[in-house]
Amino acid sequence: MYWWLSMSWTVLRSPVAIALAAVAGALSRYYVSLGVNHLVEHLWEPVHHLLGMGLPLSTLVVNVTGCGVMGFAATLCFHPQLQVHPDVRLMLLTGFMSSYTTFSSYELDSARLFAHQQWGTDFLYWAGSGIVGWLCLEGGSWLAHQVHQKFISSRP
Amino acid sequence: MSWLPVWIALGAIPGALCRHYMILFCTQQWGNHFPWGTFIVNLSGAILMGFCTTIIDNNIPWLNGLVAIGFIASYTTFSSYALDTSRLWQQKRYKLGLLYFIGSALAGFLGVELGIFTAELVHHG
Repeated sequence: MYWWLSMSWTVLRSPVAIALAAVAGALSRYYVSLGVNHLVEHLWEPVHHLLGMGLPLSTLVVNVTGCGVMGFAATLCFHPQLQVHPDVRLMLLTGFMSSYTTFSSYELDSARLFAHQQWGTDFLYWAGSGIVGWLCLEGGSWLAHQVHQKFISSRP
Repeated sequence: MSWLPVWIALGAIPGALCRHYMILFCTQQWGNHFPWGTFIVNLSGAILMGFCTTIIDNNIPWLNGLVAIGFIASYTTFSSYALDTSRLWQQKRYKLGLLYFIGSALAGFLGVELGIFTAELVHHG
């Protein structure tokens, strides 16, 4: 009986880690989106008007910040010196970061801008999300290398 | 109190697990020479997103939370897409990296349009 329990736990551990982190990731995405929409509506009204184009900022902010953190976390998680447990990797990267960011909402926003015939904004959002996301990922990765050199590899 | 976060959480669990097993399956099937797993997940998610957001009535926020914000948005991933691009670039496979980077975004866009088109066909007969 106990043998069976421990067997099933080793099998179930990864999916449970992913599921728990996915809930946290998806809810973080939801609340960050709400926050960004709130800011855009209340604080950044002049800026929003100045831009004069319904840029879907909430998804953009989520994806760009997610890419930055992903670069940082993936670099540290896969660092050979740190030996991060595979289940921790699954939890942080596959569970949390990948659920926090979203590709389908990005493409949906893009299709909606296209349908509203805002070609310029659409292209800016469509191409900009990918390029800025990639740059942020490289930035996060660079930061992780710095942190590793300064604080971890110098540890006795 | 709104129950929407609960619906989102319920959708996020199968979404993330489907993504994980789909990517595992694709890696087993075709290896990790090219990130087919993330590509297929993001493309299928984009088609589903176009289809479901067109079909689902805007007056049912819980269903939208469960399916669109919970399941499909967690199923697809933007950060892994950027990470795969960065890895292909680091391996100096520039052409393949650029093809993946632009190809995913383009295929995803067409996928959403395909989903919307199919949903409208179903809806209006």
